[in-house]
Amino acid sequence: MHARMDANPIVLDETAGDVVVVVVEGEHDIYTAPTLRERLDEALGRGGGIVVDLTAATFVDSSVLGALLDARRRAIEAGQGYVVCVGDSVEPGVQRILDITGLVPVLPVLQGREEAITAVRSTNGASE
Amino acid sequence: MTAPAPEVLLTMPARPEGVGVVRQALAGMADALDFDPTVLADMKMAVTEACTNVVVHAYDEDAGMLEVEMLADETGLTIVVRDHGAGIQPRPARSEAPALGLGLPLIAALSDAFELRGSTGQGTEVRMTFAYSRASDPAEANPVTGNIGAEGRWDPDAESPA
Repeated sequence: MHARMDANPIVLDETAGDVVVVVVEGEHDIYTAPTLRERLDEALGRGGGIVVDLTAATFVDSSVLGALLDARRRAIEAGQGYVVCVGDSVEPGVQRILDITGLVPVLPVLQGREEAITAVRSTNGASE
Repeated sequence: MTAPAPEVLLTMPARPEGVGVVRQALAGMADALDFDPTVLADMKMAVTEACTNVVVHAYDEDAGMLEVEMLADETGLTIVVRDHGAGIQPRPARSEAPALGLGLPLIAALSDAFELRGSTGQGTEVRMTFAYSRASDPAEANPVTGNIGAEGRWDPDAESPA
């Protein structure tokens, strides 16, 4: 199953300096959700706020939403900014679940990684 | 009474890595039937949620099987996801992380018709039908209600996040 893991990577991009970007590519479900939770834990551990970038994701299910919502709650508790971002065009396998669950304003989901990083910086340190 | 034979029957161990395999098979079937990409996306999501329910809820250990049938007729594609496990129960039989509890609401919202059968100890069967041509968006008739609740589970009555 290594080939599938490689085809659907989840990596941390720390080039922003403070905000850690968790880059999620390909298809993600209950099989890769534990890996996503590990990466989100790592990112939370850095303490500088988190962006989850779904631009290159083609499919996410409710296991992924569960991981994203848990990380959101923990980020809020820790006073860290937390934003999910998508690209200009979003795959139906990502857009649809975000739309029908009404989670776009909750997570929240913004368009564009730079906008998301800016939003995270503006909420870093804000308490619940 | 005779049911039509499935055009595709997949049987595999109910483990997380199998869910993506089901999606691949479904994509091949839907492609052959010339489904609209938006309906295919709904199909993949609903079937993923049904299979995930089997993986998470059906069996106490890694001993059980996941069965998926695909049957095409004049009006659409019916997909049956079945287990022979503990029957319908709200809490996971095994889970690394608590389940969100959004699976069935998503299946209801994404499929054109949906039926759940099962009883304690008899296993569970989720039967979903997707029409070749949709008159309306099923998510409008069966919207997902609620929001994220306390303890990280979905609360169908919540109007805002906990």
